[in-house]
Amino acid sequence: MRIRTLFIVLAVLVPGSEAVAQSLFSAAGMGVPIEALDGRARALGNLGIGLRGSAFLPTDPAAAARYIVSTGVMAGQPSWVDYASESGAKGRFRGNRFPLLGIAYPMFSGIASVQVGSFLDQHFRSDSQGLVQLSAGPLERTDTFEQDGSVSNLNFGYARMLNGDLSVGVTLGRYAGSVVRTLTRTFGIDGSSDLDEYVEAGTWAYRGYSVTAGVAADVGTAVRIAASLQVPTRLHADASEATAGGDGDFDLPVQYRLGVSAMLAPGLVVSASTALADWSAAGDDLVGTAGAGNTNGVGLGVELSRARFLGKDAPIRFGFRRTGLPFSFDDESASERIWSGGFGLALNTTANVVLAGADFAIERGQRKGAGITERFWRGTVSLVLSGF
Amino acid sequence: MAAALSAVFAVACIEQTPTVVTAGSLPGAPITIEIHIPWSQFAQNLEVFGGYGSPKDLGRGVIATGFAGTLDARTLLRFAPYPSEVSVRDTTGTTRPDDDLTFIGGRLVAFFDTIASTNSGPVTIGLGATLSEWDAATTSWSVAVDTINDLRLWSEPGAGPVANLGTAVWDPVTGDSVQFVLDSATIAGWADTLDLSAGARLDLIDVGGKLEMRAAQLRLRVRPSSAPDSVIEITSRTSAVTFIYDPSPEPPPDGIRIGGAPAWRTVLDIVMPTTLNGPVALCAVVSCPHTLKTAQVNHAALVLTSRAPDAAFQPTDTIGLDARPISNRAAMPKAPLGNSLISDLFGRRVGPPAFSSAPGERIEVPFTMFVRDQLRGVDANGNPAPGTLALLSVFEPFSLAFASFEGPGSLNEPFLRLVLTIGPTVELP
Repeated sequence: MRIRTLFIVLAVLVPGSEAVAQSLFSAAGMGVPIEALDGRARALGNLGIGLRGSAFLPTDPAAAARYIVSTGVMAGQPSWVDYASESGAKGRFRGNRFPLLGIAYPMFSGIASVQVGSFLDQHFRSDSQGLVQLSAGPLERTDTFEQDGSVSNLNFGYARMLNGDLSVGVTLGRYAGSVVRTLTRTFGIDGSSDLDEYVEAGTWAYRGYSVTAGVAADVGTAVRIAASLQVPTRLHADASEATAGGDGDFDLPVQYRLGVSAMLAPGLVVSASTALADWSAAGDDLVGTAGAGNTNGVGLGVELSRARFLGKDAPIRFGFRRTGLPFSFDDESASERIWSGGFGLALNTTANVVLAGADFAIERGQRKGAGITERFWRGTVSLVLSGF
Repeated sequence: MAAALSAVFAVACIEQTPTVVTAGSLPGAPITIEIHIPWSQFAQNLEVFGGYGSPKDLGRGVIATGFAGTLDARTLLRFAPYPSEVSVRDTTGTTRPDDDLTFIGGRLVAFFDTIASTNSGPVTIGLGATLSEWDAATTSWSVAVDTINDLRLWSEPGAGPVANLGTAVWDPVTGDSVQFVLDSATIAGWADTLDLSAGARLDLIDVGGKLEMRAAQLRLRVRPSSAPDSVIEITSRTSAVTFIYDPSPEPPPDGIRIGGAPAWRTVLDIVMPTTLNGPVALCAVVSCPHTLKTAQVNHAALVLTSRAPDAAFQPTDTIGLDARPISNRAAMPKAPLGNSLISDLFGRRVGPPAFSSAPGERIEVPFTMFVRDQLRGVDANGNPAPGTLALLSVFEPFSLAFASFEGPGSLNEPFLRLVLTIGPTVELP
C-alpha cells in the first residue's frame, strides 16, 4: 500500500517537475538542459556519475544498487540570473524548479526505482514594440512570443550488486512534457486600443524513449569508478488538434558518462567526471537559426567527508565544472562554467544507513555564447528519506 | 537554518520569464492591415422597422407647435390616486392623522428641461382636460386607444377636444417650472383613477418652439375636517406621462434610422466573405485569394455616414448606438435580439452635430464578435452563427429624435472596416 501511495504521489507531482525559467538559452533550439542532479552532485561539480556511496541519479543507474533500504529523493533549485548582451541589453530574472523526484525500493535482489526528472527547459518570452498604420493614423503595437514548456522524463530503473564491489543498473526512460508557443500582437499602449489582440498558438506534446545502462565498481576501498551509456530514440513532438503547425521529430544524442572518485586520505575524497554528447544531429532538425553543438564537459570536486555540524555528519564540498550547451543563437556555440560549494547533513543515521538527510549546494556560474553572457547564482536543496 | 532556507525558496519562487534579447528564435512578425469592404460585398436586405416601445416609456413630455415648420406635439398626463389622509395638529398641539379631507382646489406644476427646450424667452402654454377615453401606452396623434380589439380615434386629432383650463407663461429665465391654477371640480374629476377619460393635455400656444417637460405634479389644497380653518397643500404625482406628435415620420426609403419614440431599428443581413481577393493592399502582403480566419480579425465595424433627418427630429442630445445579432429574421419585427456586440454599456455614442450642423460624419459601429462567429460558423454557444444584424439605440425609446445615416446605393453608403493581423504559423523551433 505504501508503495502504491508513493507512486500516486509521484504521478501527481509530474507536472511540478517541469522546468521553469532558468536561462535565456532556453530560447535557442530545443532549450537548455536541466540535469536531474541532487545537492551533493551539484556541490561537487559532478556530471551525475561516479560518486562514492549510494546515489539516486538517472545518469548513474548502477549507483542505486548501493541502497539497501527503500529511499526517496527530492531536489529543489532556485536560481537568480543576470544577463547582458553585446547589443547593450541587460536585465535579471529568477526562477525555481524541481529537477529530481524519485523513489527506490528493494525487490528481486536489487533496487527498483521510479524517477521523474527534467531534461530540457524551453520557457522564454520575447517582446517587441512598433507601429501599425491604420486609416486613423499610426497605432502602437506590441508583439509577444512566449514559449512555455519543457521536456521531462519518467524513468523506471533497476540496479543490483553483482558482487560486493560491482553493480549494474539499467533505466528505461519515457520522455514527456509539452510546449505551448504563443505569438500575440496587442494594440495601443498597454492594450488600450479597441482592436482585439491577435493570437496564434500551438501546443505540442513530447514523446520518446531512452535506455540507460551503467556499471559501477569499487577498486579497493578507496576508489569508485562508474560509467553509463544513454541511448535515446528520436524525440517526437505531437501537435495538438487545434495547432496549425506540424509535428516534429528531433534526434537526441547518445550520452556517454564516466566518473571516478577516490579517497586520497581519511576524510578527503576527490571526484572527477566527464560527459560526452553531440547534439549536432538535433540541430539539423531545427528550422530556425539556432546553432547546435555538444555538451561535452568535465567536472571536478573535493569532499571533506569527516566534517561535522551540531554533532552530525556534515561533509563539506567544493567543485568546478565546465560543459557545453547544446543550443545557442545564430549558429554559434555556448558553454557553461560553474564554481560550486555546499555541504550535506545526515539528520538521522542508523547502522550507517542515512534515514534522513539533506544536501545543500550553491553555485556561481556563467553561460556565454552568441554575444550573450549570463551570470547566475543557483541553489540546490535535496532531501533523502530512507526506510519508509 | 530551515527558516533561512525557506526564505530563500520563498523569494526564488517568484517566477520571472526570461525575455530574449536576440530575435533569432522568433517565428516572424505578423502583418496588420486595414481593409474596407464595400456594401455590396458583405451586406444586403437593409430594412427599417418602427414602433418599438412607446413615448410613455420615456416618462417625459414634449409640446411643440409648428416646430421646424412641421412638428406639432402635445403632452398627456394622468395622475396617481390622491393622498387619502394628512397629519393635522389639533388645538392641544398633538399631531393626528385626518382622512376626512375636502379638496378645495390646486395647481398643476410642470417642470421643463431648460436645455432641451428650444425657447430662450417666454412662451405660452395651454392646459386642457381630456374629454374622451385614452390609453397612455398606445395613444398617438390620431388614435386615442389602440389595444387588442379596441381601436378608437380622437374626436379631433391631437387629443381633442379638451376642456380649456387656462394658459400660463413660462419664461426659462425665471425658472424651470410653470403652474396652472385648478378649481375643485377639475381636481375632483381627475381623482377618479378608473375614469379613462380623465387627464390633462398640455400644448404650446406659441408657434415655432419645442419644449421638453421632465415632470409634472398636482399640488392639492385640502381642508381637513379636524381643522376646518386650515388649508394644507399636498402633492400628487403623475401615473402616466406621454406625448403625441404629428407628423409621424415615414420609414426612410434609402437610409438607416435608429432611435425615436416609438423607436426605429435598422436590420440588415451580413454575409461575410470567407476569402479575400483584394484589395491591392492586402494582396501585396499575402497571397490572394486569402482565406480569412477567425483569429485574424482584430476589429470589424460597420462604418456609417451620418446625415441630417428632418429638423423636427434632429437629436438634441448624444445618442448611443447599439448593434445586436438576430437569429431569426423571418420573425421580424418581433424577432428577439441577441446580446449587445458593443462593449461600452452606453453603446457607440454620437453627438447631435452629426445629425444637424455637421452631417457626413463617419461613425463606426463595431461588431467584431459577429464577424468572427460568421467566419467560424457558430456563435459562442455553439449555435449557428446569426446572419442578421440589428442597429438600434441603447435605450428604447430614447427621445423623439432619431439618428439617420446614408443607406446603400448612396455616395457614402455603409462599408465594412476590417483590421486583420496575419501572422506566420507557429511551428516548432
